[in-house]
Amino acid sequence: MATMAPARKWIGQNIPRLEDPRLLVGRPGYVTDLVLPGMVHAAILRSPVAHARIVAIDASKARSLPGVLAVVTGQEVKELTNPMPDFGPDPSKHTWWLLATDKVRYAGEPVAAVVATDRYVAEDACALIDVTYEPLPVVVDPEEAMKPGSPLVHEALGSNVAYSRTFVFGDVERDFAEADVVVRDHLRWNRSGAQPLETVGAVARYDPATGMMTIYCNSVTFTFLLFLVANTLRIPSNKLDVIPCPAGGSFGSKFWAVRVPILAGMLAKLVGRPVKFVEDRLDNLATSDHHGSDRIYDVELAAMRDGTLRSLRIKVIDDYGAYIQFGVGTHGNSLAQVVGPYKIQSVQYELYAVLTNKCQQGAYRGFGSEVTNWVVERMVDLAARELGIDPVEIRRKNFIQPHEFPYFIPTGNMYDSGNYPGVLEKALQLADYQGLREMQRRAREDGRYVGIGVISAQERSVFSATEFWFWFDQPTGITSSPESVTLKMDAMGNITATLYSQAFWGQSPETMVAQVVAEEFDIDPSQVSVIYGGSASGLPATGPGGSRFTIMVAGAIQGAARRIKDKMLKIASQRLEVAPEDLEFAEGAIRVRGTPEKRMTFQEVATLAYLFKLDLPPEIEESGLEANYTFDHPYTTMPSPDRKNLGVFYPFVGHACHIAVIEVDVETGQHRFLKYVAVHDAGTVVNPRSLNGQIIGGVAQGLGTTMYEQFVYNSEGQLLTGSYMDYLIPTAMEVPRVEIGHQETPSPFTPYGIKGAGEGGRMMTPAAVCAAIEDALAPFGVRVNEVPVTPEKILHWIDEARARQVAS
Amino acid sequence: MKPAAFTYVAASTLDQAVSLLAQHAPEGKPLAGGQSLIPMMNFRLAQPRYLIDLNRVSELMYVREVDAMVAIGAMTRQSEAQRSEVVSRLVPILSEALRWTGHAAIRHRGTVGGSLAHADPAAELPAVALALGAELVAQGPAGRRVIPAEEFFLGPLSTALGPDELLVEVRFPALPSGAGWAFLELSRRHGDFAIVGVAAVLALSGDGRVDQVSLALCGVGPTPVRAHRAEAAVLGVEPSEGVFREAGEIAAQEIDPDSDLHASAAYRRRVAAVLVRRALVEAHRRAREGR
Amino acid sequence: MADRHAINVTVNGVRYEATVESRLLLADFLRDQLGLVGTHLGCEHGVCGACTVILDGRTVRSCLVFAVQADGADIMTVEGLSRDGQLHPLQEAFRDKQGVQCGFCTPGMLLCAYEFLQEHPQPSEEAIREAIAGNLCRCTGYQFIVEAIQEAAARMAVASR
Repeated sequence: MATMAPARKWIGQNIPRLEDPRLLVGRPGYVTDLVLPGMVHAAILRSPVAHARIVAIDASKARSLPGVLAVVTGQEVKELTNPMPDFGPDPSKHTWWLLATDKVRYAGEPVAAVVATDRYVAEDACALIDVTYEPLPVVVDPEEAMKPGSPLVHEALGSNVAYSRTFVFGDVERDFAEADVVVRDHLRWNRSGAQPLETVGAVARYDPATGMMTIYCNSVTFTFLLFLVANTLRIPSNKLDVIPCPAGGSFGSKFWAVRVPILAGMLAKLVGRPVKFVEDRLDNLATSDHHGSDRIYDVELAAMRDGTLRSLRIKVIDDYGAYIQFGVGTHGNSLAQVVGPYKIQSVQYELYAVLTNKCQQGAYRGFGSEVTNWVVERMVDLAARELGIDPVEIRRKNFIQPHEFPYFIPTGNMYDSGNYPGVLEKALQLADYQGLREMQRRAREDGRYVGIGVISAQERSVFSATEFWFWFDQPTGITSSPESVTLKMDAMGNITATLYSQAFWGQSPETMVAQVVAEEFDIDPSQVSVIYGGSASGLPATGPGGSRFTIMVAGAIQGAARRIKDKMLKIASQRLEVAPEDLEFAEGAIRVRGTPEKRMTFQEVATLAYLFKLDLPPEIEESGLEANYTFDHPYTTMPSPDRKNLGVFYPFVGHACHIAVIEVDVETGQHRFLKYVAVHDAGTVVNPRSLNGQIIGGVAQGLGTTMYEQFVYNSEGQLLTGSYMDYLIPTAMEVPRVEIGHQETPSPFTPYGIKGAGEGGRMMTPAAVCAAIEDALAPFGVRVNEVPVTPEKILHWIDEARARQVAS
Repeated sequence: MKPAAFTYVAASTLDQAVSLLAQHAPEGKPLAGGQSLIPMMNFRLAQPRYLIDLNRVSELMYVREVDAMVAIGAMTRQSEAQRSEVVSRLVPILSEALRWTGHAAIRHRGTVGGSLAHADPAAELPAVALALGAELVAQGPAGRRVIPAEEFFLGPLSTALGPDELLVEVRFPALPSGAGWAFLELSRRHGDFAIVGVAAVLALSGDGRVDQVSLALCGVGPTPVRAHRAEAAVLGVEPSEGVFREAGEIAAQEIDPDSDLHASAAYRRRVAAVLVRRALVEAHRRAREGR
Repeated sequence: MADRHAINVTVNGVRYEATVESRLLLADFLRDQLGLVGTHLGCEHGVCGACTVILDGRTVRSCLVFAVQADGADIMTVEGLSRDGQLHPLQEAFRDKQGVQCGFCTPGMLLCAYEFLQEHPQPSEEAIREAIAGNLCRCTGYQFIVEAIQEAAARMAVASR
């Protein structure tokens, strides 16, 4: 699919967002605003301990509290539901139930659920539930958890290592043997999470007469996998209707957040009334099922004296917490772009997925690839330092060049297109890099510690389902990740687009859909109506995730539009008595090319299509102007049986260069930003302002992970950062102003050449900020290899570096 | 997170508030701004059975210049105190400390008295009260008494107020004419509780030597700390970077901070030394410039 | 039996009489009893600012006020910002500058900015950032919100001439 010639009218425009009018007046219809007649409210009781056998639960006082309809514990859950949907390595051995059953495996794990007339009473009842725990030894250190004799999170598994394997891509041994230099480091990426301002919520209603379970929810994508949710709820797969509600942010944590809707559904069926369950903030922090990556790395990078990077050996221990619902999919994200933008020829990836007494991981913007970006860029900077080569030069030297695309990296994935030198140049210019180095020189003379971090990294988009199962030789798994749309042009010629997944999380899906439809039909985007369909009547949809949505829904729109336009052309061709090839779509009408006054408006064509069947050309079988289209991943290939080649699984790869300029106060460890530049290449851009908003938002979250946010568990498995008093989200005072530049290197393989771009900001910032801090502290020889970076850590690193200098 | 049930009663006068407190002791809790208490109630970490709302006791809402002091009624909103002309003229260090106290919406409800009576070791106002040698006025069934700031803060969230006493007023002595001052705070994010905060006041005699100095720190132990030995090292001395640096080192030895999630004791000590030095430098600059 | 109190409260110019349990948070009263769902609950412990409303002329966190305390008060929520279907210049500026993504922090941000601009009609970027530092946003990274507030300030200055 060649990209269209860029004489585009709507794609690339900063049109006002369709989503905004209702958001600005506070009426977007968040799930927690929903009120159904007779609705009651649920609350959960969370475990106060990290690892314990549940000996007994006495809920008698809770049940007899006025206003309480039901109290449910793990006992009832085993009778009423099946285990939770689980894509992990061995679900029968690390079984995940809706509520803890025989034991609790992390502090905060839900132990009971209460349904009451209002949330206040439900929480009163929770406080009256008496749980007897028999404490078990706690394991929170993943390296301890790997040792024989460690307390087991899941006895049935026989180990806390849920998965381990070493992959070798290319000739690692030779590349290391031939290298002039090997740099090594031990790096720690600590755990943070998406923490959108709105938590996960659901309102469920069960109709015993029809057996239909309706769940309004701000989560759950993958509509074509909802039969798994139905299975957990023990209802027939065609009796579940999940209706998407606009979400107040997600960043991955509402991508398949199934516990909340399943709990609401189970309770609704039990009590015979609609049940609303909305996590409160403490629930969401402790037990969201979507904590981010939590990794320990030992990495070696092999290089030549001239700066050529040859090979990477990566050993990574990932602490998945008490369950492992997505298997090691976050490492698929890593392997999609593990060599960064560089021509590194071989990679060894030794992976351990370890279970501990913590909340499980899920998805957080980047889904694991942001971590590898950080690791690779930190190693490249280390190599630059070791070799005495400028960090910008070493990157330039190793870039995959513009003429080398499509480029297959050692893991088998493909980078579709790119111009990395162009992005780098643009960023250096935008930042006035020479001026910055000059400023740094003067600042150093003044005794100030100013650092500049320049990093280049990838932003993959549109995952293939293969990345969830190519970890095993057998069996092969699903290969579909579709997105669907229904386009309808009504008899008045007005177009409605129906989306089928949890599309709105704060990005601009409706705006983007309107722009694409407008581009396809040459109408004004404000004329397009965008609605959402529930899953029961819906087409297969995977939803936003892995920055896939724009591309996939654009493909679906193009497909549906083509079907409608073909039909319209047939009708107009007959009426206007010209061949369809002589017609064009322009300004809400179909007209004869070269004779614009010979035209039919959309309304004229549509009226015929809907109401005058007998006047339509005989080859048109059906009246109406409506088309469904399911767009499947346009470029996936299977992994090789020996897994030395994982196939193409994440091929639409954007790229960015971020430059951070930071001054460090070496007496306190505090920092301030002097400048922050971000240049992104996400192929063809649909709405530039909207993309910029995503980039800046991503930078803010990346900064949070880098310097402020951490889920801290003590040795007893207590979550110390269990509220917003301690889990520190950056405010407007911490986030710098971001200067943004763009380059557009279209993809040859996607609709309009678009690449996904929603995650990119967060995928770059940790590397850029760490590089800047390290550069600021270069006079001491500090090495930054852990996030979050705190003021105290900075002072500690300076002290250590000073001690090393004294010793040497 | 919803609070547990309680019985609510709103007092409209001070006398009524005092008698309600006595009546419902020990289960009665006064509700001032609620910016510290209500979060604890929403977490169910605090579950008072009776809440005595003081927010309608308007006789406790005032800022007055009385002799050479600023008298602030305990229920005065922090934002009112911050914008008060009397406060900015006579105790500008208090205006500055209030800028670091939470955010506007919190200061619109939070009260001056409430923050002092709550006595969070990391709170800004107790440090200012200590630095200025404020007087805190308590009222109970037995009548009024004045408690000097250095006797008021007993431990984390613990003060010299009796269970049946309310804090009704705080009196800050006006800064000496020509005195310099500084309030510096290190926190993880803007508006957070201090990891370390320093309030410094410094006055010079005619020959440029330090005539008066006071230093108080928050975030550095179970209560705010007046750094007497550091003050003594500066008093009567000709100011210099070296003198102030040494004062910082001494102050760091006078405190006994805790380690917590956000900072270790060693880090707090280290930063305290730095902030004390910087605060003295800034206070000195203000004193020289007559601001 | 629950401790209940009768209250009179004016919200966005409309007077209401209600009976509330003493522990009912003002945010829940506005949302559940008055159906004004524009006020959002993000944390329920006074940190995120999503629940910000204007009470007797001052912004407050409605998760840290009991409804019973609002007896006799005059409250404005985000629903009161627009008049007769006409968006307030702040709302228009948020739209024009894409200061909105998911919308969850938006009502709190709007009211915080509304109060701030009354007292600082020509604010610097730094002053704006400090003013909104008590309102968390997870989507935008704040920059377009700052630009929206600057834009609103400019438009309101023109309008007031």
